[in-house]
Amino acid sequence: MMSGMGSSLQVGNPTVAAAFRAALIHQGIIIAVIFALLLVAWISFREWLPAARAADSASGGSAWSLPAEPAGRRMLRIGFGVLWIFDGILQLQSAMPLGLPSRVMVPASASSPGWVKHLVDWAASAWTYHPVTAAAAAVWIQIGIGIWLLVAARGTWSRLGGLASMGWGLIVWIFGEAFGGIFGQGLSWLFGAPGAVLFYCVAGGLIALPLRAWATPRLGRRVLAVVGLFFFGMAVLQAWPGRGFWQGTLHGHPGTLTSMIQGMSQTSQPHFLAALVASFGSLVAAHGFAINLFVVITLAVTGAALSSGGPRPLRLALVAVTLLCLADWVLIEDFGFFGGLGTDPNSMIPLALVVAGGYLALTRVPAAVTVPVTAPATASAAEPVPGAATEPAAMSGTDPANEGATAPPARPAGRAEPAGEVGPVPDARPARRKRRLINWPGRCTPAALRRSVGAASLGSVAAVGALVMTAIGAIPMASASANPNADPIIAEAIAGSSAAFDYPAPDFQLTDQQGAPVTLASLRGKAVLLTFLDPVCTTDCPLIAQEFRGAGELLGANSKRVELVAVVANPIYRSIAFTQAFDRQERMDKVPNWLYLTGTPPQLTKVWRAYNIAVQTEPAGAMVAHSDIAFVIDGAGHMRQELNADPGPGTASSTSSFAAVLANAAEHVLRPS
Amino acid sequence: MTGQGRAVKRQRLAVLLLTTVILATGCGTAQADHQAGPAATLAPPSLAASLVTSAGTWAVVPMGGNPAFWQLVRYSTAGGRWSLVTPPGVADNGGLVLADLGGQSLVAGFRPSQDLAFSPLAITGDGGKVWSPGILDAGLADVPDALAAQADGRLLAVLRNGVAEQSATGVGASGWSRLTDRGALAASPAGQKCDLRALTAAAFSPSGTPLLAGSCSRPGMAGIFAATATAAGTWRAVGPALPQSLAGRAVTTLRLDTSGGQTLALLAAGTGPSTSVIAGWTSDGGGHWALGPPLALGGAQVRSSGLGAKGAVWLLLSNGRAETISAPGGSWRALPTLPPGTVALALGDAGQFDALATHGSTLTAWRLEARGVTWNIAQTISVPIQYGSSS
Repeated sequence: MMSGMGSSLQVGNPTVAAAFRAALIHQGIIIAVIFALLLVAWISFREWLPAARAADSASGGSAWSLPAEPAGRRMLRIGFGVLWIFDGILQLQSAMPLGLPSRVMVPASASSPGWVKHLVDWAASAWTYHPVTAAAAAVWIQIGIGIWLLVAARGTWSRLGGLASMGWGLIVWIFGEAFGGIFGQGLSWLFGAPGAVLFYCVAGGLIALPLRAWATPRLGRRVLAVVGLFFFGMAVLQAWPGRGFWQGTLHGHPGTLTSMIQGMSQTSQPHFLAALVASFGSLVAAHGFAINLFVVITLAVTGAALSSGGPRPLRLALVAVTLLCLADWVLIEDFGFFGGLGTDPNSMIPLALVVAGGYLALTRVPAAVTVPVTAPATASAAEPVPGAATEPAAMSGTDPANEGATAPPARPAGRAEPAGEVGPVPDARPARRKRRLINWPGRCTPAALRRSVGAASLGSVAAVGALVMTAIGAIPMASASANPNADPIIAEAIAGSSAAFDYPAPDFQLTDQQGAPVTLASLRGKAVLLTFLDPVCTTDCPLIAQEFRGAGELLGANSKRVELVAVVANPIYRSIAFTQAFDRQERMDKVPNWLYLTGTPPQLTKVWRAYNIAVQTEPAGAMVAHSDIAFVIDGAGHMRQELNADPGPGTASSTSSFAAVLANAAEHVLRPS
Repeated sequence: MTGQGRAVKRQRLAVLLLTTVILATGCGTAQADHQAGPAATLAPPSLAASLVTSAGTWAVVPMGGNPAFWQLVRYSTAGGRWSLVTPPGVADNGGLVLADLGGQSLVAGFRPSQDLAFSPLAITGDGGKVWSPGILDAGLADVPDALAAQADGRLLAVLRNGVAEQSATGVGASGWSRLTDRGALAASPAGQKCDLRALTAAAFSPSGTPLLAGSCSRPGMAGIFAATATAAGTWRAVGPALPQSLAGRAVTTLRLDTSGGQTLALLAAGTGPSTSVIAGWTSDGGGHWALGPPLALGGAQVRSSGLGAKGAVWLLLSNGRAETISAPGGSWRALPTLPPGTVALALGDAGQFDALATHGSTLTAWRLEARGVTWNIAQTISVPIQYGSSS
């Protein structure tokens, strides 16, 4: 590769895509094995529990009455579980490792204030340093949370799933969506404000609430009131003059909404969708005022209806929200994930789910279900756990799926009551107080654990599996983000694989930046990282120098056994004055094992030829073109490796990655064979 | 108050708070959409320029789009043609500045671009056929007169950090030393008089005295300073007194150049639509000035400028107009509508003008004869621009 010939790292780079695929397969196998082990353990332990078998064969055991999951909560849990899985699947796109920071994160913060940009840039930088790990982490975390929400219907596991959804959602909302753009310009409900993932957070928070919070219509009323207020605020914002929403076209240019729709219609998607969105764009261009007026009025009226609490206005509002969200999702958000690098279906579906969940919380009452709970009761009787006599230890304590269960049944099951007529719910507080008295060390004995696992529900086992899946994504990412050096995969993606050799490196006789003569033979005993740099180069050479400097720092104590050497690659600007100026410019004059060598034109030409370095003076204001190559020479003077040193885009991550590759190569030749 | 009453009050408070936040967000967004543009100030002329020396007419023109590849062309009276003489070996995307070393010699300074932080120099003694390297271990300022030269080899440079350096021994790295900087000059009695804000040009007087010029915020003061021979590091104000019509305006020195035994200063007085340009000539290092009439720019900016023989000046304005003034006592003359793509003009010995127009990698020289009214193509040069070589 010639210096300055415009190399870059495309988001679909095959090397990174292959590494991403490999990481997913590798981690997927681990997850599958863990799921299988959990299942085998669960089946085995159940087999060892006679009471469990008895419960399976006969339904005669004692029964616990559990309040059925409220319909609103179920809608949120299942709806957002499916959405998380869908988002995780979108994260599987091969362009995600390199594309998410540049195409999603940074553009999302483009119009935000400096502190938001700084925050997002920091996260984007962390991602670009470890693109494969980060992208794989996003896949497993999101699919894991989705499965977790789907399989854990009740109890602590389910509530923890809600918390996980809220926690990860916040991370995505802040760093991936730049706070949903709420601090940026052009904020509009139509464009997805305040960010899709904020609704995931809201839903997660609602799922994490104890079941008793869902027992009365109060929660639903509050949810709808807040959403109503949000709609009203968005109506005001939409009506605010001077933001370009009232005009379909403005001085011959498309208005704000028209411009957005036209942009969406041009993204990659099926033709009929593009035509549909484009025709709506034309409609907005022609009747911008009327459409914005309709949106403002609809948002305001819907907001007022949601906040009113009256049954009839609420029903109408629910219909209006559903239709509005669907229309916006199809015609303006263009399903949210077409074109570009879609990461989620945007905000309308989550918003509609939250409203529907709130509505169901208002109008449905949890119905009690009877669950046979034979194993723990029998187990407790047969093998009492110290300090756990006040409740069925194995089930209630370690299988939190039954949190909130009370005996005997609190109310007849199955009858829904109208809003506002919900009767008293069994108070779970006594049971919670009892739980604090549990002897946890006693529960951690092998026998107790075996009982616990055997007595757990399949849903709980699946939830543990989902948690493991989430951890398999999160732990490597956390570990990688603590590593300040970028992964070598970036350098490999830019430069390709290196070639290994073992032949005597051509000797040279040149002059260093202090005017002292240097030969390759004089460097025997040390590993040599050798490259060719133009001291007046404006692009690649300063980056390569920084890579060498970074390699020296990574080598630590070993750097004393390594010489970082550059030879001038410019036939005109080649004097010591230039090597010294370059060193000062790049702060290489502070690097003790750095040598920048030059010589007479014949001396330089001889070295360039010996190392097969093409150096060509270009006309018309172009810089000298030369090969970007680094050589690794061992202490015996043998050429051991040739690396393509084209620094690619020259980002902090690519520079760090090249430094890591160079340091690894030097350490490799330092090792005794 | 009952518990229910308190709850209602809390709810109302929350509603009020949320509404306020939403409205505040709306207000902030609306304001952000209506931010005013940058304040109207007179931008310095670009590095596109021309210069007449005894080796011919030299012109610097940007080509190739963004990033620009700056080209140096020379018109030889003997050959009657323009030729491409851009010095090789350095990417010149930051621009080129020229200084006349006398005879056939010229020094070109490369302004730093991208990751290059210092300014390589190129010196020719044969009209641009062969170039030898030199170095200024700092970045030249982005003004056409950032570099000045004297026939005895001395050089003067204005750097982008506001420092002025000189080299008594030529273009080698070791020859450069600090002459002064904007802060020191502004703090001197001469600098205080004009409230010096920036250094914008350097030149040698006909007798070889270093001259520095800049922009002043004190109205009516032209910030041109000469190094005193008696005490090192001291400067005296040698700028001209402006006519009464311009006395209330802040003055920026756009160009300062010495050629043919006289120093030319091109000054801009005022900012925005009221800006006027005035040219002044001195042959005794600022002791006496002859001023031309002011030229009202009518809100336009000076896009590029150049110098001809015997103190002539041309200006290319952002509204597409071109104006020229020949010498002290002359008046500004508008040139006919310029050919499309014109980036610089060049003044010929016989009073003719060449308009240098660029389109992609093609440079076209259009000729306007001394008393002509139409531009005619005189020559076309295909420039081998190495697109992508600087990215």
